[in-house]
Amino acid sequence: MSDPNTHGSSTAPEAPDRSADTPRSADTPRSADNQSSQAEQTQQAGFFTRHPLLTFILRRILLTFVTLLGVIVVVFFLIQLVPGDPVRIALGTRYTDEAYQALQQASGLDKPLIAQFFSYIGSALIGDLGVSFRNGEPVMMLLLERLPATISLALCAIFVALLIAIPLGTIAGLREGGVIDSIVRVISQFGVSIPDFWMGMMLISVFALGFGWPSSGYTPLTEDPIGWATHMVLPAITAGVVSAAILTRFIRTAVIDVSHATFVRTATSKGLKHWTVLTKHIGRNALIPVLTISGIQLATLLGGVIVVEVVFAYPGLGRLIYDAVAARDYPLLQGAILLIAFIFLTINLLVDVLYAIIDPRIRIS
Amino acid sequence: MTRSPARAPRLRRLAQATTASAAVAILAVISGCTRQSVDLGAADSDDVIVASISGEPDQLDPHSTTSYFAFEVLENVYDTLVEPDEEFNMQPALAESWEVSDDELTWTFHLREGVTFHDGSDFTADDVVYSYRRIIDGELANAWKLTMLTDVRAIDDHTVEIDVDAPSPTLLSALGGFKGVAIVEEDNAESGDITTEPIGTGPFAVDSARPGDSVTLKANEDYWGGAPEVAGVQFRYITEHNTAVAALRSGEIDWTDSIPPQQFGTLDKDQSLHIESVISNDYWYVAMNEAKEPFDDPQVRQAIAYAVDRDSIAQATGFGTSEVNQTAIPGSSPWAYDYAPFERDTDKAQQLLDEAGVSDLSMELMVTNEYPETVTAAQVIADNLSDVGISASITTLDFGSWLDRQGQGDFDALMLGWLGNIDPDDYYYAQHHSKGPSNSQGYSNPEVDELLDAGRVEMDEGKRHELYEQAAKHIVDDVSYLYLYNPAVIQAHTSRLEGYTIRSDRAVRFRDAKLTED
Repeated sequence: MSDPNTHGSSTAPEAPDRSADTPRSADTPRSADNQSSQAEQTQQAGFFTRHPLLTFILRRILLTFVTLLGVIVVVFFLIQLVPGDPVRIALGTRYTDEAYQALQQASGLDKPLIAQFFSYIGSALIGDLGVSFRNGEPVMMLLLERLPATISLALCAIFVALLIAIPLGTIAGLREGGVIDSIVRVISQFGVSIPDFWMGMMLISVFALGFGWPSSGYTPLTEDPIGWATHMVLPAITAGVVSAAILTRFIRTAVIDVSHATFVRTATSKGLKHWTVLTKHIGRNALIPVLTISGIQLATLLGGVIVVEVVFAYPGLGRLIYDAVAARDYPLLQGAILLIAFIFLTINLLVDVLYAIIDPRIRIS
Repeated sequence: MTRSPARAPRLRRLAQATTASAAVAILAVISGCTRQSVDLGAADSDDVIVASISGEPDQLDPHSTTSYFAFEVLENVYDTLVEPDEEFNMQPALAESWEVSDDELTWTFHLREGVTFHDGSDFTADDVVYSYRRIIDGELANAWKLTMLTDVRAIDDHTVEIDVDAPSPTLLSALGGFKGVAIVEEDNAESGDITTEPIGTGPFAVDSARPGDSVTLKANEDYWGGAPEVAGVQFRYITEHNTAVAALRSGEIDWTDSIPPQQFGTLDKDQSLHIESVISNDYWYVAMNEAKEPFDDPQVRQAIAYAVDRDSIAQATGFGTSEVNQTAIPGSSPWAYDYAPFERDTDKAQQLLDEAGVSDLSMELMVTNEYPETVTAAQVIADNLSDVGISASITTLDFGSWLDRQGQGDFDALMLGWLGNIDPDDYYYAQHHSKGPSNSQGYSNPEVDELLDAGRVEMDEGKRHELYEQAAKHIVDDVSYLYLYNPAVIQAHTSRLEGYTIRSDRAVRFRDAKLTED
């Protein structure tokens, strides 16, 4: 690859009126294209200064990609850290010389380390994560099969969490130091400390045994919406309550911070309606830290809530990871880690983009 | 820098559009890659037995899987030529009758007529030949059970002849002991579909599967033994015991075997449930490495046999559900042999150690976290041994490493179990014959070899009993294995489920079960 900076400076004199901006445009991947005519270069420079949001997004995508590459490298070396021979361990009682050779060859572990490394990165980038040690199925397919269930659960859980956290956090923040605030703080402290395992068992005892609600399993939304909803309630509440407790505390703090700001005092003294101040001034400004933590919470939920999924026999990513650990299915475990990292990075990227939309200051700085 | 306010909405639209198209792309990938969902039909009906098992089968090819979860499902999908009744006598299944030639080297099986596979194709002698050839030639998981077979041939559509290398009293249990030697359909096996959509001749056919969640079977109306009374069986994978028990109590599931022994007592008092336990024909043992000093000395092994407290071990692992045993075969088996020379006696143990000239013995006890009861038992054993001045350290390994060290003979003592035994040959030959493939402790007693070899080819049942009793006496006295206990099979079902029988070989058969109205 040519050095974008050298390339950029050589074209800079052609666009003297934008000289201040040219080095920045050279940072973007598109300027690496040395076939572009000078006219195009000039136009692109103009394009990027005129579209700061797009530039911002492209930069963030590039950064995300580099991070992802780093994760792939780490994940690759994970299997090298396994004590003993991973193929031998995975085979257990099924061990025969032939099975060993076949599995080693299929997983590429018989090649030299350096060759393994590049072939792993190459295949991972095109979505080929190898085959499961347990049943020889493609890891990518196994993971994608579980995604709909996990996405369902994560969205429902974050919905439950926000439904609880936004009103509680806002009221507590506005009534800082009051009775309601103390109650909310105690409740959220409980919520953070309750083990989700115990919470799940309690919900099962009360609602499954007491009222006959389904306590386990999953029905796809497309097959049976009512079955989907009834199977979703208990796990979504269990996973959502923990997130709600964390979110409540963040929302409370954010609301307190913003409501002490001088612009809120100005808005209030200007005679604006209480509701307008709450939604337009406090709400939008408090949204930024809340968005970050909601994003992280959602990403965590999407990565599979292992304990909740195991308790409710829910066939999502978390349960897959749990089973993969139990079966010492390393390729599947590697794939799952990669997928979770990918989800985390993507959501972070989306959150960053949303920031820029909510608060223009972020993309300019 | 300033910014025109009019741009904000446009940017938001852009962001929305990007997010939306990304979401569509992700969804497209998901729907493209997931297996096509299947209409469950039967699963929605009230007449489907919902059973929960504690894990997901790795695959559904009966010849290749070694997973008990797979066999719980496959027991209902496949048939074998013969099958064991509750007393482990082999009864007709796909074979209606059989006879042995005068030289006892050729068996002729007369197959049931009019049997069809789930896809409608006819079951014939060729399917039998194909199935056994597949196991033997492919060296699949159960090939070792069929080593006595020298030839299998179809005489006509409904007659199969099997040649054996020596008179084989164990042939029937080898061909029918469990569904690992089931009769499969050639096209299904050759296409590879057998791993996810197996086609058998059994009372239920695989209908649909949801990875990670469940597999649903529907009744085979043409089953040769009569159509099942229920519309189907759904096996759900519930790993967490408490969830399974709660689901059973709320009526969400009808049957489960996901019950920890410590809960047996509590559940037994619950009037709305039926919980049952029977002593299984599995057993747990300790084996000492006879290639290593001082365990090559039978007196040292006997001292340890006197030092361990089987009752405490059985209590710690089975909470009163298992049964201590000093031989391998449980009391419920027709092959049981009541022999118990070792009661806990620390003085006797000490005396034997003194006679052997062993003092300050420290030893390693190797167990695996694959079977947590071995870890629990090892703690009790180590405590027992400290009473006679032996210091035992416990090494807990993952199963792969455990097997590796066992294979290399790199251990002092190890603990494990043998599961799913039927014939006395299953219990003793591989483990205690000096050439037995599983004799990793290195036991060698020419008398035992002779007895076990004779038992293998003795067709008279009375004489076989005598041979195996003699062999067992030597094995126990020499402490080739230090036998501990036979664990229980524990299963529970709702009172709606009737006609189900718990079996000590852990085979889960729903063909005679039915669901009544509450």
